[in-house]
Amino acid sequence: MINDDHLSEFGGLPVFDFPERLAEPEHADTASFDHPAVESVAWRVGRIGWDSEVSWTDLFDRFLELVDTTRIRAFVVGSWVDIEEDPEEPVNAVLERLVAARDRFPALRALFLGDITQEENEISWIYQGQLTGLLNAFPELTEIVVRGSEQLSFPAVRHERLKKLTIQTGGLPATVVRELAAGDFPALTHLELWLGTPNYHGDAEIADLAPILAGDRLPALRHLGLRNSEIQDEVCAALAAAPVVARLESLDLSLGILTDTGAAALLGGQPLTHLKRLDLHYNYLSPEIRERLRETLSPKVELDLDTGGAETHSYEGEVWRYVSIGE
Amino acid sequence: MTPLSPAHSGGYRWVVVGNGENRRVRLFRAAATAAGLPTPRVVEWLDVLRDGGHHFADDELVRLDSPGEHSEVDRVLRGVTDPTRVEGTARWYTGFGAAVASLRGGCRLDDPAELAVLFDKRLCHARLTAAGVAVPASPTSGPVAPIRDWGDLRARMRAAGLARAFVKIAHGSSASGVLALETHPAGRIRATTSVEVTPSGALHNSLRVRRYHTESEIAAIVDRLAPDGLHIEQWVPKSSLQGRPCDLRILVVAGRATHLVARRSTMPITNLHLGGERGDPDAVRAAAGEHWTRALELAERAAACFPRTMCVGVDLLPTTHWREFVIGEVNAFGDLLPRITGLPGSPAAGADTYTAQIAAAPRWYGAVRTAFAPEDEHVPA
Repeated sequence: MINDDHLSEFGGLPVFDFPERLAEPEHADTASFDHPAVESVAWRVGRIGWDSEVSWTDLFDRFLELVDTTRIRAFVVGSWVDIEEDPEEPVNAVLERLVAARDRFPALRALFLGDITQEENEISWIYQGQLTGLLNAFPELTEIVVRGSEQLSFPAVRHERLKKLTIQTGGLPATVVRELAAGDFPALTHLELWLGTPNYHGDAEIADLAPILAGDRLPALRHLGLRNSEIQDEVCAALAAAPVVARLESLDLSLGILTDTGAAALLGGQPLTHLKRLDLHYNYLSPEIRERLRETLSPKVELDLDTGGAETHSYEGEVWRYVSIGE
Repeated sequence: MTPLSPAHSGGYRWVVVGNGENRRVRLFRAAATAAGLPTPRVVEWLDVLRDGGHHFADDELVRLDSPGEHSEVDRVLRGVTDPTRVEGTARWYTGFGAAVASLRGGCRLDDPAELAVLFDKRLCHARLTAAGVAVPASPTSGPVAPIRDWGDLRARMRAAGLARAFVKIAHGSSASGVLALETHPAGRIRATTSVEVTPSGALHNSLRVRRYHTESEIAAIVDRLAPDGLHIEQWVPKSSLQGRPCDLRILVVAGRATHLVARRSTMPITNLHLGGERGDPDAVRAAAGEHWTRALELAERAAACFPRTMCVGVDLLPTTHWREFVIGEVNAFGDLLPRITGLPGSPAAGADTYTAQIAAAPRWYGAVRTAFAPEDEHVPA
C-alpha cells in the first residue's frame, strides 16, 4: 500500500531527509552539514526517530537556519505527529510555520503534506487543517499532495497555477469534496481524490462530485482520479455520462470497491477509447468482465486490471468487500 | 559442510528434550545425522512432565526445544484442551519453569534462570534496558505491579504517554495474544490482532489478522488476557523493505549473529503464519547499508544478556529509514527457520540453524563452563 513506505521521490526529485539529530541540543553549535545540492533533492522534514524528543516545529526552525531554502523546489512534510499531544495542535503549528516561512521558499513548486506511514499513524487518523491559507501563501505552487482528512478544509479555495492536486484519505468528507468542487483551479490538469469509506467520514455522494464531473470549473483537467471509494461502482456509473470525461487523457478508478456493476456501467456509457490510460487496479471484477474491458479498450487504452490482492470475504452469510486503504 | 566426526563433537552425545513428532525435533536430528553424528536421543516433554524430571549422563549435550504444538503437553501445561486458545500462559510459565528445573545432569546449552527471563517479556525488557540495549519504551518493564484490566492498561499507557502500543501477553509466543493498539484523544480506538473471540468470550488465535474498533470489544479481550500477565511496549514505526513494513529475526548462536529472516507485512503484526512474507536478505543489507553492522551487533548484544543460553532468536525492528534498530523480542526457541542458511561471513555461513548449533556447541559449552564454573570444577574434555 502507498502508505506502507515513505516517499523516495517527489516532484521528480529524490527525497533527502533533513537529519533530525541536528535539532538536538548537542548539535546546537553545528553550522553546516553534508547534503546534496539544495535544488537537486526534495527536502523532507519529519519526526521519524522512534525516540525523538524534538517537535516538528523545532526541526523546521533548525532546518531554516541550516539550509538555503531559497533554491528548494520540492518539500515534503513528514510526520509531525506527537502522540502525547492534542492531535489538532501539531498540524496547525506546521501550517502556521509554513505560511510564516513563505518568503524563504520562492522556488518551491511541489509540496507534500503528510508523508506519514501507517506504522507512524493510520491514514484515517491523520489530522490536517484549513489549507486555503497555505495555498494562498504559495501562489507559485504547481503541485500539492495531502494525506489524511481529519479537520481538512478548503474554504473559498482558488489557485491560479496549481496543476496537480491529490488528496489521499481513508475517508474524504462531503464538505471537503464540495469545497474543492466549488473552487477555482484554472491551471489544474491533474485531480486525484481518494473518497474512502463512511467509517472514516467518507460520506460524499455523487451529487457532491457533480461540478467536478461537469468539468466547468476545471478547464485544463486531463487526468482525473476518483479512487479508493466505497461507492466506486456509483462513481463509474456517473462517469459513464460525465461531460468531463471527453477531455481526459487518463482516468484512475483504482483502489475502491469496483465490481462488475461499475465496470458494466463504464462499458455501457460514453466511449472511453480516447483515453491513453484507464487504471482499475485493485478490483473485484469477474474474468468475463475483464475480458470485455480488454476487448473494448485494449490495446488502444493502457488498461490496468491487476486485482491488487482485493479479496471478497464471506462472514455469517454476508459478503464483505473493502477499499484498499480504509484504516 | 564437512561431516563432523564424534571426535569433533568433543566426545559428547546429543540429546533433545522436545516433542518428538514435532518438525523442530525431526529437523535437528536430521542435521545431526547429516553432520555424521549418531542420531540424538529424544526425551519427550510429556515424559518429563509425567516423570517429574529427567536425568542426563555427564557426556550428554542437552538441547531444549519448544514444548509447543503438542496438544497433550499443552493440556498439561496450560490447562486447555484446544491448542488455539490464547489463555493459560501464566500457568504454562509456572509449569514449564518447573519442568526445566526438573532436568538434572548433562551438559546444558540453556539455563533455567535465563529461560525464566526469556519467557517473561517484562523481565526480558528490563534486562535489555539494564544492559543499555535499545528497546521500545515500556511502562511494564521489570517486576512492576501486574496490569489488572483494561482500565488499568489505559491508565498505564496514558501515564507513559503512549497512544500507540503493542500489548503482549507476558509469556506468549508467535504473536499469540498480541494486540497492536491505537488510541485517539477523541476517544476512538483500534486494535489489530489475530485474537478471535467466540460467543462465550473465549479467545482463540486465528490465522487471520483482524481489526476491532469498539472499546467494549477490545476491553473484553484485554480483561480476559490480563490474569495471564500483560506487557506494554511503545509502537516503534518499522521501516519498509520492498514497500512493506518489515522486522528481522536474527539468530545468534554462541554469541555470533548467524541467520537472518526478514518478515514483511502490510499489517503491524508480521509473523509469517499470519500473512507476513519473507523479504530478500540482500535487500535488507542494501536497505541498511552502512548501518547493517550495527544491526548485527545489536542482536549480539541482546543475546549477550543471556550468556548461559547458546542460541536465541532476536527480533529486530528497523526504524528511522533503516538507520536505527530496536529490539522487539528475544526468543529462546527462535531457531525454527527452515531453509535459511547462515549469513555470509558468519561462522555458520551456508549452514542451516541446527547444523550451526551442532558445530558451535562443544566449544561454546566448554567456554561457558570455564567462565561460570568454580576453578576446580571438572570440565569434560
